[in-house]
Amino acid sequence: MTLRLSAIALASLTLVPMAAADDLRINGFMNITAGHLSTDDISQDGYDDGIKFDQDTLVGLQMAKQVNSSTSATVQLISRGSQNFDTQASWAYLTYAASDNTDVRAGRLRTPFFYYSDFLEVGYAYHWVTPPSLVYRLDALSSINGVDISQRFTLGSTDGLIQLYSGRYQDDLTFVGDQYNVELKRAGGLVFSLSHNSLSGRISYHQADLTMDINPLNAGPNGRALDNLAAAATLAGVGKDFVADNDTVKFYQASLSYDNGTSVLIAEWTKLDQTTAAILDDSALLVSAARRINAFTLHLTYAQAEDATESGTVGSIQQLAEYKETSVIAGVRYDYDSSTALKLDIQHHDEELVNGQAGDSGLLYNLGMSLVF
Amino acid sequence: MRAVILSSIVFYCLTASYLAHAEHVVIVSANNTNNSLDKNTITRIFLGKASSFPDGSQAIPLDQNEGSASREAFNDQVLEKSASQLKAYWSRLIFTGKGTPPKESGSDSDVKSLIANNPNLLGYVDNSVVDDSVKVVYRFN
Repeated sequence: MTLRLSAIALASLTLVPMAAADDLRINGFMNITAGHLSTDDISQDGYDDGIKFDQDTLVGLQMAKQVNSSTSATVQLISRGSQNFDTQASWAYLTYAASDNTDVRAGRLRTPFFYYSDFLEVGYAYHWVTPPSLVYRLDALSSINGVDISQRFTLGSTDGLIQLYSGRYQDDLTFVGDQYNVELKRAGGLVFSLSHNSLSGRISYHQADLTMDINPLNAGPNGRALDNLAAAATLAGVGKDFVADNDTVKFYQASLSYDNGTSVLIAEWTKLDQTTAAILDDSALLVSAARRINAFTLHLTYAQAEDATESGTVGSIQQLAEYKETSVIAGVRYDYDSSTALKLDIQHHDEELVNGQAGDSGLLYNLGMSLVF
Repeated sequence: MRAVILSSIVFYCLTASYLAHAEHVVIVSANNTNNSLDKNTITRIFLGKASSFPDGSQAIPLDQNEGSASREAFNDQVLEKSASQLKAYWSRLIFTGKGTPPKESGSDSDVKSLIANNPNLLGYVDNSVVDDSVKVVYRFN
């Protein structure tokens, strides 16, 4: 009898599988950020020459539940200070593990444009207060409703990942300070990444057909930037080029990163190429180096972004909206404990061209605290 | 003279017990067919990059609770990452659904008991709790 009981006890211990953890997993992250611009002559990340807390302050809560042995459900709710702390589901998807190395996800996903896209808002995961916004743009197109498939593989001691996604999206989104209704159709892309010891590389390609509610008839002194641009183009006889109606947008990305535990190097290059003239083609890159010294990480980053204009009349209208900017960011991160980091970034932001005019330069100070729990 | 001998014996005993105490091991169940694992394999399993033992059976890593001496030694000697670096590593995976960190499963003796009863588990403990129910597959200090 005793034997039988202990056999049952043993069996139940063995059968309570750690992997199929039946419980609801809750994880969260929080960034509290304060920012101050040395001058109102430049604009960067929505800050001004006062002290603003709400711009990059956010809290995220993720709930994940294993539904059965191969399927799990994940929801990530985020309240952002920049959106009056309205709570949004940035991610909400079902994951089906087709095999040990293959995952299929369906639902609302983060568009994997960048190296840091997957954890863009988890401040604890990187050394800056926020990733350099000259490169980390396209906020308006950052989510998609659809499916993706991730295939992991190993070649010797090299780990690889191929991710393919497809979907669409429609929402009212803020773009260069104004609100537009944005629709992405036939959106899709491919991400390929490899990592070997301390080195990893990632290349990706993304494409979508973009429609925006740009209307030159709404132009005016308080009109939205793209409506005004379209009105100027209409006067010049090229109005049709400055609307976005199922216009193909292509985005290319390549990054290389090295992290041996004490030294970190990251280089990322991106390029936006599209058929509508309303949004300018651009290219942006960043190079960042960091060094960990005990609980401190010191880092230095250079970032630049440059618009490309077309030729002829279209190009001369586009020059009214042309930007060319560079930033140098010096910062320090202090790991207060294993779930709290304090950060200070000082950014010298130089606007060589703002809406086609010579711009100014100035400093942005950011102080941040990032938590994961 | 006697005092010197005595003190050197005391010193020797202290050192020996310190060394014995400081030794940590990676263990699997006695029923697991793998007899030894290399550091790279252990690291890959603990970082979620591999999910099986070399013999192909499923491998599930167990962490000890935060703050345990064994966990600190394991992070430092085997994974070669600080607690903060590991947290940053996992926060990149947790919030994308691409991975979950090993389950925090208590102390040396808790981990040993769990592993003894499940051949799919892998964990690290202080050498002092090792008995016949588990098998040592890797040693570190």
